[in-house]
Amino acid sequence: MSVVGLLFLLMGAMAVGSALLVVTTARLVHSALWLVVTLGALAGCYLLLGAEFVAWVQILIYVGAVVVLLLFALMLTRAPTGVQTGLTTGNRVVAAATAGVVGLVLVTVVVAGFGGARVSVDEESVGSATSMGDAIFRHWVLPFEVLSVLLLAALVGAIVLSRGRASSGEETP
Amino acid sequence: MIVQALGVRTVDDLSEFGTDPWWLSLIKAVLIFVFLLLLTLFNIWFERRVVARMQHRAGPNKNGPFGLLQSLADAMKLMLKEDIMVKAADRLLYVLAPVISVIMAFLAFAVIPFGPVVDVPFTDRQTPLQLTDLPVGVLFVIAVASVGIYGIVLGGWASGSTYSLLGGMRSTAQVISYEVAMSLALVAVFLYAGSLSTSEIVNAQQRLWYALILLPSFIIFWVSMVGETNRAPFDMPEAEGELVAGYFTEYSSMKFAMFFLAEYINMVTVSAVATTLFLGGWRAPWPLSLWDGANAGYWPVLWFLAKVMMFMFVFVWLRGTLPRVRYDQFMALGWKVLIPVALLWTVAVATIRAMTLDGGLDRRVLVGGALVAVLLFLLLSIVGERAPKEEPEAEEQPFDPFAGGYPVPPMPGQRLPRPEPAGVVPGGAQPDQEDDTARRSATEEGD
Amino acid sequence: MIAVHGSVLAQEIEIESPNIAYSAIYPILIVFGVALVGVLVEAFAPRPRRYVVQTVLAAAGLGLAFVGTVLVAGDLPETQNGLARGGIEAEGALAVDGPTLFIWGAILLLSFFSVLLFAERRLESGVTAFAGQAAALPGTEAEREASTRGLEHTEVFPLMLFAVGGMMLFPASNDLLTMFVALEVLSFPLYLLCGLARRRRLLSQEAAVKYFLLGAFASGFFLYGIALVYGYAGTVTLAGIDGAITNRVGGDGLLLAGIGLMAVGLLFKIGAAPFHAWTPDVYQGAPTAVTGFMAACTKVAAFGALLRVFYVAFGGAQWNWMPMMWIVAALTMGVGCVLTLTQTDVKRMLAYSSIAHAGFLLTGFVGVQAATRDSDDMTSLVAVMFYLLAYGFTTLGAFAVVTVVRDSSGEATHLSRWAGLGKQSPVLAGVFALFMLAFLGLPATSGFMAKWAVFTSAWAGDAQLLVIIAVLASVITAFVYIRVIVLMFFADPVGEGPTVAMPSVLTVVTIAAGVVVTVALGVAPQPVLDLAHQAGEFVR
Repeated sequence: MSVVGLLFLLMGAMAVGSALLVVTTARLVHSALWLVVTLGALAGCYLLLGAEFVAWVQILIYVGAVVVLLLFALMLTRAPTGVQTGLTTGNRVVAAATAGVVGLVLVTVVVAGFGGARVSVDEESVGSATSMGDAIFRHWVLPFEVLSVLLLAALVGAIVLSRGRASSGEETP
Repeated sequence: MIVQALGVRTVDDLSEFGTDPWWLSLIKAVLIFVFLLLLTLFNIWFERRVVARMQHRAGPNKNGPFGLLQSLADAMKLMLKEDIMVKAADRLLYVLAPVISVIMAFLAFAVIPFGPVVDVPFTDRQTPLQLTDLPVGVLFVIAVASVGIYGIVLGGWASGSTYSLLGGMRSTAQVISYEVAMSLALVAVFLYAGSLSTSEIVNAQQRLWYALILLPSFIIFWVSMVGETNRAPFDMPEAEGELVAGYFTEYSSMKFAMFFLAEYINMVTVSAVATTLFLGGWRAPWPLSLWDGANAGYWPVLWFLAKVMMFMFVFVWLRGTLPRVRYDQFMALGWKVLIPVALLWTVAVATIRAMTLDGGLDRRVLVGGALVAVLLFLLLSIVGERAPKEEPEAEEQPFDPFAGGYPVPPMPGQRLPRPEPAGVVPGGAQPDQEDDTARRSATEEGD
Repeated sequence: MIAVHGSVLAQEIEIESPNIAYSAIYPILIVFGVALVGVLVEAFAPRPRRYVVQTVLAAAGLGLAFVGTVLVAGDLPETQNGLARGGIEAEGALAVDGPTLFIWGAILLLSFFSVLLFAERRLESGVTAFAGQAAALPGTEAEREASTRGLEHTEVFPLMLFAVGGMMLFPASNDLLTMFVALEVLSFPLYLLCGLARRRRLLSQEAAVKYFLLGAFASGFFLYGIALVYGYAGTVTLAGIDGAITNRVGGDGLLLAGIGLMAVGLLFKIGAAPFHAWTPDVYQGAPTAVTGFMAACTKVAAFGALLRVFYVAFGGAQWNWMPMMWIVAALTMGVGCVLTLTQTDVKRMLAYSSIAHAGFLLTGFVGVQAATRDSDDMTSLVAVMFYLLAYGFTTLGAFAVVTVVRDSSGEATHLSRWAGLGKQSPVLAGVFALFMLAFLGLPATSGFMAKWAVFTSAWAGDAQLLVIIAVLASVITAFVYIRVIVLMFFADPVGEGPTVAMPSVLTVVTIAAGVVVTVALGVAPQPVLDLAHQAGEFVR
């Protein structure tokens, strides 16, 4: 097995392992941090597959922004240091079973869908910013632009639902 | 072609990278590490001296020549201090936080070009003065900086102290908000350079620095880099008057030193990024560039350093001059001014760029477009200022001096009740009327 | 296509710009564009003027988009041996063909009248029927203050336009990815609008949360189904999936699971059993104008998408999904009819009636009857499209009537409060009776023609059993509708009885449009049937 293949396996194992820790750890903030490891390992997988652009965007968006906001929300509400009890409820068996089935079916899909197909990661063009841009802004340009409309609608909706009296002083977040 | 004639080898494409033997990479890495450590010591001294001059003091001048060794002595003292572990702390993260901060600060420098391709002394090897480069180099810098936030947010939380937590939260909100404006400012550079790699962006600035043609981007980047590094006047996370010392209140000794180090390296990093993306990187400035040798060999390192120190000086200057802004003002600046302006500017640049590439763009169109852009900018700033007046609801709130059961000061837009002289029948209509007039005039302005 | 050569760098960057035929898709762009302008209006226009600006903007935008749709329909090229008209646009993302344009036209007309309902202000004495301030908790001082100050959310207009844009994209999507994005765009604003009622806010918020949670769940199913279908076909374009189904052997399990999961997502939007549970609660809790909009437009859009996915992409696997759809259609009619009987609330009754109508529509859908050249047979596509238009106007009109019958606490939706309405206001009661008769399918109303069209195509498509069930179901629901009519005209009012508030011209126009279309399509349906017929088949 090549070095890249070995590293890929390692990264994959790391992603799965830390994902398990996300749901099992007894500290809420640690759970969020394990999520960081999961997402980071995923970025590592992308990197090893030659998708450099996607990998760094993954770090930038998911690790650098999404989980930070998650932590933010945790800290604003309930995030004592130390172990918390009662984070795992009685539904865990059902949840685990559901997750397992969903995962299994998805794996089947990927195996069936791509089967023996091979893509060479040595070719520079596969995951580069150029090819990503080409795909998004040419072939998928309409769904992409409509997604921005969706986000705008969500934003307007969030403001409608949350903005209290239109006071002149801004609340600090 | 011209470049070759002058005997300068620049990095033509990224194939230059990844050919170094391991020992060369190691030497480069160690050199960058040492360089950043020394530069930090120097910068601390530099800041103290410059601020002292601005305040008509002498600053540290006793230890070593010009007091240069002062920061070294301070660093030694810091190392010998007692390392306190707070009881309420989450131990693992408490230790991890400063480490994350400092590692991420160092990492970003891996893709900063210090100079062109040079001969390695004592060998016949040639190598670029840059640890490595990626096709998405700038993205790497931003990504690493965004991971560096974890140091702050975890440091704030793991200390188990309210001051730390508040400092950490403030800092996180601040860095995330300003990262948006910062990244948007960079889009224009990418559009012009046609690349995300630092060395190629420096190459693309052979003729003209992007600070000149992309001035708005440069200004936005500059403002947001002060916000991003938590420096005065945007240093609310460590506002000593409010939060003691923000997220590192509970830290001491080496852990504190690491946060300190990370902060100064971050300043250098953003300065270096600004230099690379907007000021032509290691390229010699104009009068010097007339000299053929200025862009060859090891000279460019000097120009690079000079530009970085220029930014550092402005950092210090700002700190010596400006008072700290209020947090909401700071957020308003970021979200309501910098980001919209950056967005508009990006759209403008993209349009101009597309038209140019599309087959020639009339100069007059460009100038006209620029005029429109300036007008839009002015309009936006006017509208932005007027926006709060449009909705005068706040003025209608009666002021309750005991809201929630505690005596509270009036909120903006509220006024203290006028003390009624005893014996006079309370009228009460007076202030309301004033409010009404104020509102009416505000609405008229709003039209 | 413009090839751009990067000149600054040594390396050449070759970028081809996308090929977008703006002349074919501009109705959608108008709707989205006006929505964006609406957001800007919210940001910059002074508060007192927003209502007028937004209303005019929304109505004008929808009107303009409708005109655009008509113009686009005017010069569609013929393809597939004249069976279909139109083409694939926007880099394969959209199929702008006859059925798409018919559905666009229907959605735009219905949403135009919905805007009028949204803008009604006289019924709530000077403010719209939407919450003055959504963030204020129900029953608090802040809420009272918001209502005394006459605050209103004019953001509902851009939100509604976003939803309309999504509804137009949904049936036009030519690949599953675009379809999913469109589904989200159309759903999201609706979740929100449901929770913005001015009166009975807790009910409204509960409806919004229910709709959101179940809708998100259904979207998840849809997305998962897309993943499975992608795994089977290796592509998300409808034509590609069709090709895979025709040419590939094996792997059917994946395909069937994918079809099943996607069907769940689509049937949820339609409100077909067993995915109908949200309908009554949401229809009841949402502001009535929104309910009317949802009942009419969402159904049109979702049926359009259902038809396109199942006819174009999964047409080759027809024998696999047909039994499932049979069961769903029968179940939907059964549930809709039986539960309509037990309702005591007008809005809930209309909700269950909409479920029953989804069943009738599915009957037409199941009787797959493809077009042949130069034949005047009733194809299932024509039948369903006609039904959608007819039902949309009737149901919008019916909900508009509901907004008018009021007592001191707002709309009087309990059926007992409607007793004796005929004595109070014979005209209004007559109008509502007309809508009831149209739902029932009485001859000379649009409902009759619609049902006739659907049943004919289903009968010809070997779905005789379903047609029989559908006719039986119609007979059962007739009981409910007749009961309402009897209640309105022959019962004595309870207590003081309901009052019929005089609405502004906006609601009157909407009700009138409902009446006119209901009668016109019942008496002279041929022009619209011809139009639907001319639209032809889906392009592939």
